[in-house]
Amino acid sequence: MEETIMPERLDSTGKEETRFQLRTLLETSRLLIESRDIPVILDNLLYITMDKMMVPRGAVLLYDEKRRDYRVTRIKGHASMQEEDRLTLPWKHSDHEPIVVDPMALDLPYPELFIGKNRGLYFNLRTSDHHLGYLYLGRKGNDGILNEQEIDFVESLSIISAVGISNSQLFGEMHKMNRKLDRRVFELNTLFELSKDFSFSTSRKVIAGTFKFALLGHLMVRKFVLLFLIDEEPTVMSSSGLTRMPNRQEREEIFDLPQELLRVQPHQHEASEFLYENKISTLVALRLQGEKVAVIGVSDKATGQPLSRTSLHFLQSLGNLAVLSIQKSVFLEERIETERLEKELLIAKEVQNGLFPSQLPEIPGIHVAARNVPSQHVGGDYFDVVPSPDGNHILAIADVSGKGFPAALLMANLQSMLHVLLPVPISLSEATGRINNLIFHNTPSDRFVTFFWAKYFYKERRLRYINAGHNPPLLLKNKANEVSELREGGMILGVVPTVTPYAETDVQLDDGDLLVCFTDGITEAFDENGEEYGKHRLIDMLIQVRERSPHDIMNAIIQDVNRFSNHVQADDFTLIVVKGTP
Amino acid sequence: MKSFHLEHRADGPVDIFRIEGELGTESAYTLEAALLEQMRNGRYCFVVNARKLEQITSTGLGMFMARIEEIRTHHGDIKFCHLRSRVYHVFDLLGYPSFFEILDKEDEAIQRFLNGGDDHA
Repeated sequence: MEETIMPERLDSTGKEETRFQLRTLLETSRLLIESRDIPVILDNLLYITMDKMMVPRGAVLLYDEKRRDYRVTRIKGHASMQEEDRLTLPWKHSDHEPIVVDPMALDLPYPELFIGKNRGLYFNLRTSDHHLGYLYLGRKGNDGILNEQEIDFVESLSIISAVGISNSQLFGEMHKMNRKLDRRVFELNTLFELSKDFSFSTSRKVIAGTFKFALLGHLMVRKFVLLFLIDEEPTVMSSSGLTRMPNRQEREEIFDLPQELLRVQPHQHEASEFLYENKISTLVALRLQGEKVAVIGVSDKATGQPLSRTSLHFLQSLGNLAVLSIQKSVFLEERIETERLEKELLIAKEVQNGLFPSQLPEIPGIHVAARNVPSQHVGGDYFDVVPSPDGNHILAIADVSGKGFPAALLMANLQSMLHVLLPVPISLSEATGRINNLIFHNTPSDRFVTFFWAKYFYKERRLRYINAGHNPPLLLKNKANEVSELREGGMILGVVPTVTPYAETDVQLDDGDLLVCFTDGITEAFDENGEEYGKHRLIDMLIQVRERSPHDIMNAIIQDVNRFSNHVQADDFTLIVVKGTP
Repeated sequence: MKSFHLEHRADGPVDIFRIEGELGTESAYTLEAALLEQMRNGRYCFVVNARKLEQITSTGLGMFMARIEEIRTHHGDIKFCHLRSRVYHVFDLLGYPSFFEILDKEDEAIQRFLNGGDDHA
């Protein structure tokens, strides 16, 4: 542009000058309309006017509305000030609406920018409703002042430039707004996509992993930790870039911080080694139905800038979405586990039912009644009455530790062992020793069995028994009013290998004698006050109904226990009632 | 969802991944597994050629953020090339051009590693 200006400037006639100025104005207008670049506009404004007016010193000062001062945006010919310096003018721009301010003519104190006699004019850069700043032009190189025509020219250029600057600023603002809008749309898309991803996933691990990626990616952070409350304990559910995991105390301290949104302060960094080491600068608490369930900790952006307010809002939205989904998956996992347990219980019940004899054999010399009353949970009760190859019979009652499927399996094993050993010509003591060793070697250490079994020799009306830690069966001899307990035998099955043989003891079962074998579900049944039914109530009941048939005695006991516990049965119970016949 | 494809090749110490389709939640795990396989072998210089990448989500970018710490600790880096304008827009919107090096061509990205480019560690 200067190349076209230079030859024209040599023409000094008024007409030519005017024509030249109009052309300059026209070209500048076109340039300003096309340019949205403020620096280009400012350069043109300053250099064209200085060059055209032969002014060696000039500047553009842009008004900063927030700070209410001027930023030296362009400056030429002044050593004392430079671009980006700040300046306060000794007059209010609103007091001098005219386009040109001549401080000398107006008798104003001169701005500190330009001291000495080389003082010039301030051309107001303004739109119809906005003051943007000033173009300052000093005196001409020959110390002359601008004539009226020149002032008109600079005024016109200032007006055009001000419009250009204003448009560019507006364009910049719009660009910024568009970008903000783009980011907001992208945020919403991210949240929408994640809500879809989360709803398709039932695994909290997958949800936490996806949440981690989304958070790191969207906020551009490298360090993050998600503490989630599981069984009342803040637990690290997901993390990234940490130097180490927080210990329990650190997790609790972070979780217990009262703020919903916390920009971690220096004193908090000093107090928490974990936060400091990992440069965690923001903590966000997340709630479900008012309860704090999670806390997210994040570092600043990877580029070092703190997270903006918008980013924090996004973090809260994302966090809420994730927490809701994680909680949902936790509930789902619990439900699946409950359903699994219920299914297991059903199988265990089937197994257990299959183990009880469907029909009790007729035994000469005694009448036998037996029954298992299952509770809601599958307990480990077992009983059996089986003929042995020598024509006698075996009675057995047991209580396997634990409940559910593991207990049912062990019970099934016990039944198999018993039936396998039945035809083997070995003593009750030896058979018990072998069963004990088998259980000891084949089950975990926390599994054991209390076991009572006996062989009834019908010819001698004799009962040979072994009690391996089971509730002692009660023997009530005919006409007697005191019961004896069948305690002899040895250790509970499955605790230690057999070293000392189990002791066999014989008792006589004559006409009217009553033997009751039971499991702890009977004696440990409790009432509303937590009091146990106990052995003494069982004995009293036994004495009361002793004249009845074994079947009736059994039912009377069961009814009494149910009445006592108000029909709330906490455990299985099992009874075998044996009565000597004439 | 657009399907995701991944091609891998090695050029000396540099591993180049050409990715195609959409880099979202599911594909992020696929690409992460591929990166981890190389990292287990002590290789930490990665070029991601996104010429055929149509879309990238926050989750996709997050995968890179989750791994960059370890990669740069081992004096490696992830450099991107051939970003389409739609994908670059997402990078730009979230501020990634100031954190990851984005180059025009694959060769340039590889050369940056071979010539000992900048070291983020």
